Amino acid sequence: MSHRQEFENKDVGLIDVLDVVLDKGVAIKGDLIISIAGIDLVYLDLRVLISSVETLVQSKLNGDGQLSSEQFDKEKEALDHVTKT
Amino acid sequence: MTELKYLYGIIPTDEINQTPLPSFKGLDEQHELYNIAFDGMEAIVCDLEESEYNESALEEKTSDVQWVHEKAFHHHEAVMKLHEIYTVIPMKFATIYSSKTNLEETLTKHYQEMTRLLSWLKGKEEWNLKIYCDNDSLRERTAAHNLTIEEKKKEIEQMSPGRQYLEKRKLDRLIDQQLEKEKEQHSSSIHDQLATSCVKTDIKKNWNKDVTGRTDEMCWNSVYLLENQDVEKFLGKVKQLQAEWKEAGFTLELTGPWPAYHFSKLK
Repeated sequence: MSHRQEFENKDVGLIDVLDVVLDKGVAIKGDLIISIAGIDLVYLDLRVLISSVETLVQSKLNGDGQLSSEQFDKEKEALDHVTKT
Repeated sequence: MTELKYLYGIIPTDEINQTPLPSFKGLDEQHELYNIAFDGMEAIVCDLEESEYNESALEEKTSDVQWVHEKAFHHHEAVMKLHEIYTVIPMKFATIYSSKTNLEETLTKHYQEMTRLLSWLKGKEEWNLKIYCDNDSLRERTAAHNLTIEEKKKEIEQMSPGRQYLEKRKLDRLIDQQLEKEKEQHSSSIHDQLATSCVKTDIKKNWNKDVTGRTDEMCWNSVYLLENQDVEKFLGKVKQLQAEWKEAGFTLELTGPWPAYHFSKLK
């Protein structure tokens, strides 16, 4: 089997496609009916980010704040140590 | 009814004379792809109803991530199909012209450049590399194998508890910096070894985990343009590097062949 057969069109994920067709390719601006600058990966990046932040907030609201307050206490304790020395 | 022109790519007329355009459904899943001849070049397009794909309709559609994903994949598949048969200048996703006249005016403006680009791209293809790494295990390794860090740890052990806390945090930052440096160095040495058999290369921005949806971290993102006859050797090199870096926690993911998306530039 040639290397090409082994690699060709394998494991192409959504990120690979988006990284190519939204980021690159010829775009002759000015003549287009829409400005495609609006839909780039940065924009998608933000949207995905927003949805994941929302999930995070949601899980915190559902009473899952235990971990962070524990962490806060630990950090406070450590800071107390520093101020004592 | 007014029809817009969705442009997929430009191919040379002599190649389409040899192999006719295969049948392929367009973006709206209704209209077929067809070619508009233009003085030695063919614009591959599909028609779209103005009422459904005008500026405000598109704005609404593109705010739907699912729609963008689906249609970006369609664009990819269509241009890939062209690339399998012809030399192609690939267009960016959602390159839409208001009319045939409007499209022709644009082609006229860039005619010389496109002709040159088509003959330059003939017999070349693009391959894309993304390197991912297991950050946690790499960090442990960095922390364990670095002499400066090792010395620092011993120093800290002798300090008072409060001081230790502060110094440990500083040390954490030092390890992070060292880790970033190592990732960059390793990736760029992999890149340099691959670049030798390429016509052109480019280094792109890394995407974070929210975008990639992976548990490991992207630490390198690069693209390579190759002559067809050099691909086999290049892929052999990639295979060798994949095996070489696996142990150290680096995963090299290569995709291709792509149409020359990153190397088709018009002024």
